[in-house]
Amino acid sequence: MKNKYLFGGLIILVFFSIMAYLFTQTDIKYENDFSKVVTSTHTVKATGAWVKSKNYSMDKVNNMFSFYMVDNFGKEIKVVYNGTIPNNFESCTSVVVTGKYKNGNFVASDILTKCPSKYESQMPNTNS
Amino acid sequence: MIGNIFLTIALLAGIFTTIMYYLTYKGFTNTINKARFGYHVMSVMVIVSSILLLNAILTHQYQYKYVYEYSNSDLPIGLLVSTFYAGQEGSFLLWTLFTVIIGLILLEYTAKRGDLEQRVMLIYSIISTFMLVMISPVLKSPFTYIWAEVSYIDVKSINPNFFNLSFLSNFIFQDQGGQKQFFQISSESYSQLLANGININDFIIHGKGLNPLLQNFWMQIHPPLLFVGFAMSAVPYSFAIAALIKNDYNDWVKQSLPWVLFGNMVLGLAIMLGGYWAYGVLGWGGYWGWDPVENSSLVPWLVGVASIHTLLVQKRTQELPNGKGRFVKTNLFLSIMTFVLVIYSTFLTRSGVLSDASVHSFVAPGRIVFLFLLFNVVLFTGIGLTAISIRWKYLNEHFNFEEDLLSRELALFTGAVTLIASAIIIIFGTSLPIFGKGVEISFYNKSHLPLGIIIGVLMGFSLLLRWKSTTKEEIIKSMKFPLIATAIISIAIFVTGGISNIMLGVFTVTSVFALILNFEYVIKVIAKRVDLIGAYIAHIGIAVFMLGVIATAGFTEKKTVDLIQGETINILGQNLTFTGYQPFQNNTKYAFNIEVGDGNDKIIAKPVMYIADFNNSLMREPDILNLITKDYYIEPLGYNEDQSNDGNVVIIKKGEEYNYENSKILFTGFDFPQDAMQAMSDGKGFQIGANFIVVTNGKTDSAQAFMKSEGSERKFVPAEVPNADLRIELLNLDASGTVNVKFAKLSDPNLVYKKNPPSLSVEVSTKPFIILVWLGVLLMVIGFIVAVIRRTKESHT
Repeated sequence: MKNKYLFGGLIILVFFSIMAYLFTQTDIKYENDFSKVVTSTHTVKATGAWVKSKNYSMDKVNNMFSFYMVDNFGKEIKVVYNGTIPNNFESCTSVVVTGKYKNGNFVASDILTKCPSKYESQMPNTNS
Repeated sequence: MIGNIFLTIALLAGIFTTIMYYLTYKGFTNTINKARFGYHVMSVMVIVSSILLLNAILTHQYQYKYVYEYSNSDLPIGLLVSTFYAGQEGSFLLWTLFTVIIGLILLEYTAKRGDLEQRVMLIYSIISTFMLVMISPVLKSPFTYIWAEVSYIDVKSINPNFFNLSFLSNFIFQDQGGQKQFFQISSESYSQLLANGININDFIIHGKGLNPLLQNFWMQIHPPLLFVGFAMSAVPYSFAIAALIKNDYNDWVKQSLPWVLFGNMVLGLAIMLGGYWAYGVLGWGGYWGWDPVENSSLVPWLVGVASIHTLLVQKRTQELPNGKGRFVKTNLFLSIMTFVLVIYSTFLTRSGVLSDASVHSFVAPGRIVFLFLLFNVVLFTGIGLTAISIRWKYLNEHFNFEEDLLSRELALFTGAVTLIASAIIIIFGTSLPIFGKGVEISFYNKSHLPLGIIIGVLMGFSLLLRWKSTTKEEIIKSMKFPLIATAIISIAIFVTGGISNIMLGVFTVTSVFALILNFEYVIKVIAKRVDLIGAYIAHIGIAVFMLGVIATAGFTEKKTVDLIQGETINILGQNLTFTGYQPFQNNTKYAFNIEVGDGNDKIIAKPVMYIADFNNSLMREPDILNLITKDYYIEPLGYNEDQSNDGNVVIIKKGEEYNYENSKILFTGFDFPQDAMQAMSDGKGFQIGANFIVVTNGKTDSAQAFMKSEGSERKFVPAEVPNADLRIELLNLDASGTVNVKFAKLSDPNLVYKKNPPSLSVEVSTKPFIILVWLGVLLMVIGFIVAVIRRTKESHT
């Protein structure tokens, strides 16, 4: 066996295995069906909308931000996030949270908000 | 318009140049001058177009959509210039500009070296031409007029002097919220303006402006350097294909090496300047976040650096008497892949496929650009791999060697493979969003810890190996001192630093090992041949960098706190006192003063927050105290001031919690009896309740305050919570979901709510020895420069 292929092959093989193993541990799925989010043991990126009627709350002592999110099928989950309210949260059209569902709450490690940007507001079709 | 004409001429000149170089390669003798002429015409056209765009930006010519989209009249000159590459079109033009300028140097360089020019420049002209297709008027030209497509611009951008024009109202629209007005700019409204004799540049007087995140010094340096690095990657690609065309694999290596070194030096520096920008100004808390855009520029760098190592082996081995080059196939493949990965990373970050995943991915540019970028990836991969496969049989017959187990050749090869393994892992993780998947950051961190360990071992151990082969005795002999020194220093680090993680410990040992061996070599060599130290300096840089990474990744401490104005609190070893804020820049930004330390040893940190007009969001800028052994990093999160009008009345929203004395008070909503509505309209008496939940020392009470209405008189009945010694006086209620209340103690009804002092929420963190990260990068760049000088000299021989 050639040293070159032995060494090169070994490194590539070992790291492919490490990569494959880590991937099974750290993969994130995009999910817009919350009934699947609730049962998943992996980290997911859940996409949905903020339930405005249920408001949000900011617990300043524990630095916990929480709100309710609803998916397209009408299922709601409570999201808790260790951190402050993201910029522009109130004007967002959709929210992507990354995290895991634990004990009745979705514990988010990251919140990505999608807002209609200032200049991309939807234009009405009728003239004013 | 003139800009588009120039760009079109440049594109045609590019095609012409490509054909002429091809004919020259085919044996025509009278075409080389035409090819050179064509290349120069193309370059001049691109340069002139760039000057035109710059001029349009500096003179605020908002008739160009690009200028309107990214620039604004109130930007300072430096930032105004940098809006040149704030968007897709301009950054592609800048990349093309660098490509053609580098091409001019490359033309000179290859023209001096026999029949090199026609082959290298043939490939390079093809690449330049495809870049010009990208910015041609049919795809992404920065010279597109604003009225070319229907779009809506904020009326604030329009000169108010024209508001009284009657036709204007036909083109004014309201957004859905009814808060903003927009002017519809289209060929129709433009012709109306023309008919009224109005110059479009008098009409539109403001652009959208530059994203505030980009409005700082680093915007002026990081992107251009990155594009130089990207543009340079086309050079080794052209050399490799040129070698394959001629089926001669000797000379291209020494000719290509200085370009590869320089390109990777610039790209590496650019990447880490981006890291510094993110850390120091943008407040991302760290210098590296495995963000897709960061990753996609790192991958070509890793492959490029891998190619440097195997190129060096080939050069060294073929220069020996009767020597034949090693790793010829590897070098061809890596030189091709570096460029392909640059295009692939452009595809990832510019086509919109990552728009969900990245912090700073560009907006989706439309389907045609997506397809064109994808086509480029396929095309240039195809050209490279086809060329290799055509020559495969020859390559396999002529360049197939066995390396000794204890040879520097094999060590360098193994190093290259390790870098490639890293590149594969990163490109895998970064490409996942295309398939609707993704990975956590830990995927990269965990996989790179063992990779870093291997790199550390190789960077040290390879120096103990001689070329060709080494005896075990030699290695053992030369290893004694470095091993002892490594052991001493590592133990010192373990004892003082308290490293408990085994992998991190091993990584520390290997980094120290690499540092010591390279340092020993520099000492040995510097007196005799200073030109040889490049590689060792660069490797010292990498080792120092890795130690910095270990310190910051393993020992960063982080805390979020509320700093109440005037109160001193000890956070992560420093006394912090928030003393207030002051506005600056015409009251658009606020600096928050935090005294750090005590007594005479006070430093004032001034993190900044402001609301950016551009996107209506809160921007935060950290302040960092450099304390030699660590950075003390203060990131502002928010400023809280008691918003109540007078100190006594509090307005609470439904669902909102309020703290008073030891109680948490939550307003849950109104109790609105069904007959109240009827009673109200009948003019009879009714009552509405406001419900509260009060939590005191773990005990929960519910309470209700009332508003009673009888005739025209309204009476409020307070809620009393004996457990909490609390009285909630209702002062007013609003059906939209707020109540105005006053809190008081039952035992002392005169004591009313006091206004809370303002407070500033901050995230404080310490980054130990982060200076090593920057120092490492600096050393690496210096090492690269020394190597570029040496290899440039050698390329002449």
